[in-house]
Amino acid sequence: MTTEALYLSPTAKLPYCRGCGHSLVVRQLSNALERLGLPPRSVVLTTDIGCVGLADSLFPYLHTVHTTHGRSTAFATGMALADVAMERQGLKPIVMIGDGGAMIGLLHLVHAAQLNVDITVLLHNNFMFGMTGGQHSALSPLNWVTATTPDGNSIPPLDILALLRTAHATFLARQFATSPELATTIADAINYPGFSVVEIVELCTAYGTRWNQATGASLKEIADRQGYAIGELETEIERPTFRDLYRHEQNVRKPKRAKPPVPRLNTTAQLTNEVRVVLAGTAGERVQSAAALLCRAALSAGLYSTQKNDNPVTQGSGFSLSEICLSPKPIDYTGMECPDVVLAVSDEGWKELQANGTVAACREETLLFVDSQIEAHPPMGCVVPLPLRREANPKRAALAAIAAWLENNPLLPPEAWDAALAADPAERRAESLAALEVGRRLGGGCVKSS
Amino acid sequence: MTATSGPGWALMIETVQYALMTETPIVVALVQRLGPSTGGATQGAQGDIWLAEFSTSGGYTLPVFSPSNAAESYELAIHAFNWAERLRTPVILLSDKEVGMTSEVVNDEALQIPDLVNRKRATATADYAPYAVQEPETVPGFAAVGEEIKTTVTGSAHDPQGRLRKNSPQVINVLQRLQRKIEAHAEEMALVRPDLDPDARCLLISYGVTARAARQAVEILRGEGLRVSFLQIQSLFPIPKKWLDWATAGVDMVFVAEENLTGQYRAALTPYLSGKRIFGINQIGHLISPSHIARAVEGLMA
Repeated sequence: MTTEALYLSPTAKLPYCRGCGHSLVVRQLSNALERLGLPPRSVVLTTDIGCVGLADSLFPYLHTVHTTHGRSTAFATGMALADVAMERQGLKPIVMIGDGGAMIGLLHLVHAAQLNVDITVLLHNNFMFGMTGGQHSALSPLNWVTATTPDGNSIPPLDILALLRTAHATFLARQFATSPELATTIADAINYPGFSVVEIVELCTAYGTRWNQATGASLKEIADRQGYAIGELETEIERPTFRDLYRHEQNVRKPKRAKPPVPRLNTTAQLTNEVRVVLAGTAGERVQSAAALLCRAALSAGLYSTQKNDNPVTQGSGFSLSEICLSPKPIDYTGMECPDVVLAVSDEGWKELQANGTVAACREETLLFVDSQIEAHPPMGCVVPLPLRREANPKRAALAAIAAWLENNPLLPPEAWDAALAADPAERRAESLAALEVGRRLGGGCVKSS
Repeated sequence: MTATSGPGWALMIETVQYALMTETPIVVALVQRLGPSTGGATQGAQGDIWLAEFSTSGGYTLPVFSPSNAAESYELAIHAFNWAERLRTPVILLSDKEVGMTSEVVNDEALQIPDLVNRKRATATADYAPYAVQEPETVPGFAAVGEEIKTTVTGSAHDPQGRLRKNSPQVINVLQRLQRKIEAHAEEMALVRPDLDPDARCLLISYGVTARAARQAVEILRGEGLRVSFLQIQSLFPIPKKWLDWATAGVDMVFVAEENLTGQYRAALTPYLSGKRIFGINQIGHLISPSHIARAVEGLMA
């Protein structure tokens, strides 16, 4: 077996139209690989849709992946990332894509350039979609006649290398398919450790030369008209490849501290039936975290819980709401057909409870602990106004409301809060304990008296 | 594995089909939200049953597992990976906003965790072909890009060697095998949670988050003296036909409760429920409540 037979067989019958630039590219790619002496199994030829997609079958010893239209760059990027993450350090994906595919998958090219993954893109620019019947692409020159621009293209073409330069690509080259330099340029691109792209300017002899006055000799004129520089272009200074960045981050990453499990108490909760609680307030005032704390306290005392949160599309403004079920047995339905307890700590929260039907769903037995500033007049239920915001401060009003309710329905042993707060930093724990104390004081005996 | 909701899934269908065709094992968690289009970002729904299952050109069966709570999400994710690995196919974990975003206590001692299954590896032989199988096997051994065996991966119709061939019987054979490998393992893939009453004449079927309300509705109905059977289906596709036959033996009426407008899973089950009277319990925009289901069943039984 000769060396060349490892890549393109010298006797390979190329499937392309007479005069098509693709035949030249395939031969020059093979020459480049031969020059570099890359082991065939270290190369994965990743071909796009179009006539370029026939290239994989011409290289019988390379890994080949024939992809969906425009996505070849994304597949190649994925394989390069896997090579880094799995510490294989040897796979070289080479993308063969046309100008049509480059337009469809432009984001993948931009992303690969930004990541600076070690892939080489051979972008066959023949100014149109060839295989599908000669339609124009975003890279068609002005006045170029295609099936979809029969009077000539009037949309200015995209300079793909200029665009990828803004995506911080550091190896950019442009060559004519007919250039004797092509194999050298491709070899340089493959040898480059990060993202590299070679735009190969060529002609579709099925449609391009049929509808336009163009020959191989006029390629330079077409390129000049668009101000396209030829050869390996100068780029910004070298920057780290994805492999470099990945290794660096592996070294500096701090191990994530897992939250310790909630300690389990010997005492259990005094709860025989499920209880459903709605907690509503304002975003940023620790409503949902207070609800989570209640669930952790319940867990320490052997209860099951579910917690569903709601907020407007924005995360940090408007209402904030949690629906909590506590039960001695596993919980099925998590909705709030009729809440047992409603805790409303801000006007915004109360308005949402009115809007989402919670207020209307209250029954006679429903207990509503609401901040004194809220005008709360539900059709049914027992309203207990408490100065939660004033006494506990708005950011701790939710936790205080929970404590006020539990003071009237002591289903959790007091140690449950210590267990729930055990993992919190000391300062945060002290704040929470203070809020609970305020709640207990405000809640003491208030249901009987109201 | 990747996770998405309906709008993201719509963008992924091209690549999911590619995974199906290239026999690449992947798991997609599709966490349903209220559609159509970008719909309601923070509202749940069970409206993507058809969009998930019937998303391939050619109508190939994509295995779909649907958890109803956090514990099942954990268990079924492992099943999903096992089947993706074993059959080299895309598998969907069909969740929804309510299951995916509700925090809940899980009793880890009660989890039913299956053993892990890994894909069968190809062996380097002289006549190795990437898409060939030895009958009665239905799944070819896997060779990774970059290793010693030369890989040929293609999303276009191909013969066992991975070569593009038009209308060759070998290509058709590969395409048929992609479906046959799923059907051959359908019974093994079936996962249900039955709660049958041998004397019941009616069966309530549900899945995903609505199965939780349905389970509670059955308690309500039984408390009122009604004889009702319940079947929660976890493996939505392939349809667990044997379990369905077993659960509907002696039953006249079948109710299917699901949080969508048109009864998507009911429609998929209907061909397997011949001779039964079939009713849908459907609602969108909110969780279907246990009392809603119980009232609907009572009303239809009366």
